Amino acid sequence: MEKDTRILLVDDEPLVRRSIEKTLLRAGFDVDTAKDAMAGLTLFQAVLDGEEDVEEGPFDLAILDLHMPNLEGQDDPDAGLKLLTKLLEVESTLPVIVLTAFDEVARAKEAVARGARAYFVKGREAGLLELVNAIMDEEKS
Amino acid sequence: MKDPNVLAARRATLLQAAAKVARNVASILDPDTLLEKTVDIICDEFGFYYAGVFLIDAAGEWAVLCAGRGEAGEAMIAEAHKLKVDGHSMIGRATGERRALIALDVGEEPIHFKNPHLPDTRSEMALPLVVGDMLIGALTVQSIEEAAFSEDDITVLQGMADQLAIAIHNARLYQENQLLLARSERRAHLLDAAAEVGKGVTSILDLGELLNRTVDIICDTYGFYYAGVFLLDDMAEWAVLKAGRGEPGGRMIAAGHKLKVNGLSMIGTTISTRKARIALDVGEEPIHFKNPYLPDTRSEMALPLLAGDKVIGAVTVQSVEEAAFSDEDITSLQAMADQLAVAINNAQLLKALEEAHAELVRTKTFEALATATLQAIHWIGNKALPISTTVERLQDDLVNFDPLNIASMQEDLEIIGESARLIIAVKEHLIGPAREHKPRPTMVDDVVRDTALLLQIPEGIVSYKVASDLPLAIVDTDQLSRAFGYLLKNALEATENVVNPAIAVEVAVADGDFVAVRFADNGVGIPEENLDKIWATFYTTKGVGHAGLGLSACLQILNQIGGKISATNRAEGGALFELLVPVFTGKLPESDLPSGKAVLLVDDDDVWSKFVISLLQESGNVVTRSSDVVADFTPFDLVVMDDILKSGNSAQILQHLRNTGSISKVMVVASRMTAERATELAQFGIENMRPKPYTATGLGEILK
Repeated sequence: MEKDTRILLVDDEPLVRRSIEKTLLRAGFDVDTAKDAMAGLTLFQAVLDGEEDVEEGPFDLAILDLHMPNLEGQDDPDAGLKLLTKLLEVESTLPVIVLTAFDEVARAKEAVARGARAYFVKGREAGLLELVNAIMDEEKS
Repeated sequence: MKDPNVLAARRATLLQAAAKVARNVASILDPDTLLEKTVDIICDEFGFYYAGVFLIDAAGEWAVLCAGRGEAGEAMIAEAHKLKVDGHSMIGRATGERRALIALDVGEEPIHFKNPHLPDTRSEMALPLVVGDMLIGALTVQSIEEAAFSEDDITVLQGMADQLAIAIHNARLYQENQLLLARSERRAHLLDAAAEVGKGVTSILDLGELLNRTVDIICDTYGFYYAGVFLLDDMAEWAVLKAGRGEPGGRMIAAGHKLKVNGLSMIGTTISTRKARIALDVGEEPIHFKNPYLPDTRSEMALPLLAGDKVIGAVTVQSVEEAAFSDEDITSLQAMADQLAVAINNAQLLKALEEAHAELVRTKTFEALATATLQAIHWIGNKALPISTTVERLQDDLVNFDPLNIASMQEDLEIIGESARLIIAVKEHLIGPAREHKPRPTMVDDVVRDTALLLQIPEGIVSYKVASDLPLAIVDTDQLSRAFGYLLKNALEATENVVNPAIAVEVAVADGDFVAVRFADNGVGIPEENLDKIWATFYTTKGVGHAGLGLSACLQILNQIGGKISATNRAEGGALFELLVPVFTGKLPESDLPSGKAVLLVDDDDVWSKFVISLLQESGNVVTRSSDVVADFTPFDLVVMDDILKSGNSAQILQHLRNTGSISKVMVVASRMTAERATELAQFGIENMRPKPYTATGLGEILK
């Protein structure tokens, strides 16, 4: 049986996090959440090292909020980009979507330049779902 | 051989005449007058036909006739009559050999220049004029008598010539001294004026004012007709007139008067050569710009303005007098220009610094606004977003209804509710500080204690140190309490994980008519890089549960009351916030307190209750204080109750008052009253609610 796609969702806004989590869960994805960059990196590393939830396998995709507490726990508008770099250092082929509260072309370009697969402005979650599906289809093909 | 008596008499006459000549010439100090008079005195005293004085020129080559008797003398001077030193003439030989010569029969004497202006001369004596070993000229004396002079006469006449030489020398020295003195005095005057200008201009820091004042100071101090200051443009191609004396200056500036550097103008040349220039007869001076605005100028000096090795412009000074300036003046006027250049340079640097500062402030303001906007967008976006996404999901769920989704739908509704609540909660944080302020005299320490009680901070965490001579502050107590509330909450949150959390509140007198309120906690402190950012709206380091509005509200409140707020980290750990609240300095009208009343004061035993008891007792009232339920309210005419009690239970007391039918006697006072609390009190039947008074006048007004 094909393993479900496992997604790491990192966002410091609990209501946003929960809402996106629900949307992804309903679409049939396995979703693990973290409330900041440090928690996200720790969880990602723990799964990779087999310390946690090994049965479900490693993460297939990460969705990272851009503005949240960074790896030092400080509020940081670039925390998502910093976590992105760390995750790609560990798993260079990991597809990553960077989330932000508002549209900013320069930040989107920077995210992609740093290795993000996509940049998504929070809004219609169906759009995020379509993006996740598209990336996963691309990965499988 | 001549008769010895005759010879002695002639000798005596000559000596007498020589003495007279010497006496007369010694008192004449002007060289020109001396020479003119000398030839007349000699002729008159000795009875000679002609006398002339020659002076040696600067090169020592020619003896130039400087004074001569009568028309012959005038004519020869007009012809610039001169004789070669050491030449063949009598004068030439006398000067060359430095000895007196006599020609007795001049018509036969080959050595004598046959002078057409003195055709009657038959005898001549030429006498060198020597001072020490310095030859200064020669004297010629001539007679129409043949053999008028003897060798014996030489001694007497040479004595007279020596005296004359000394007199000429002295007169020259005197003239030189006078000249030196005049130069020295002028130089001293110019230097004084330079110092005066320097003193006047160096204290002016505004460039525009400096330049305008400078031209006036220069003209007034030196008495010049006009002064103007030119500064180089950015490309250093043009000297642009920035200030000019009087109406001509104003008109030239209005006309955009500027002169090309390296051009033919005095200013242009002065700047390019970095040297002062003088034009004494400016009408004839080709280098001078013929300026229609300054038609009376007859002399001009242009001075470069040098700041270090940089030329920044030039100053022009102009006079209506011809030859008003000399090379000697350059040094002292340049000293003035140098001081002016330093002052202009300083003013330019200050102006540049101010512009850079203004630019920095603009940049910082823009950055702060951008940061605040970014924070606000981020915050509001994140709070509002779950509403739209959850509504979308609920709509799907309703269309494709599945009973299994009911729990999910309920959760979605909770998400919507929570998001809405967070957004609405921000409203009061944003609007509150902007509400109308009603400042009144206030006991700041009472407000801070009440605020801590309102927040129900656990016993033992907050400690107080209050100055004994604390003046009243002038402030809206609701707003001040709001600010104190934010700071106390922040301190509580910062000490959440501290084993023995402590918040030390100090209220003290501060410089500049302020009451200082300091909140020091032993929490985590504030990262140094965030100390400037914490005042921005929506900026928070405390996660999503915080809007980041408290400190920006504090800043807004303190700004509105003319106070100050600052934050630092304490050396021993934790943060320190200091608020400076303005002291009340006004005068209050006479108080009008009731008397003969039985008053129950429901309050803790604190500074405010002591103050009220003292005032009411002085007015002839009987006051009882209690912080608890009183069994019988009947004996009291009036019940004054502090809404914020430390030891009592206000709800319980109010309930009891209502139950005993005494609620109408109650006046509730509070340092901070919210709409919600006022509603609660009204529900108890309280009609009288007032801001807590901190003066006798205030107390009288609420008890009226």
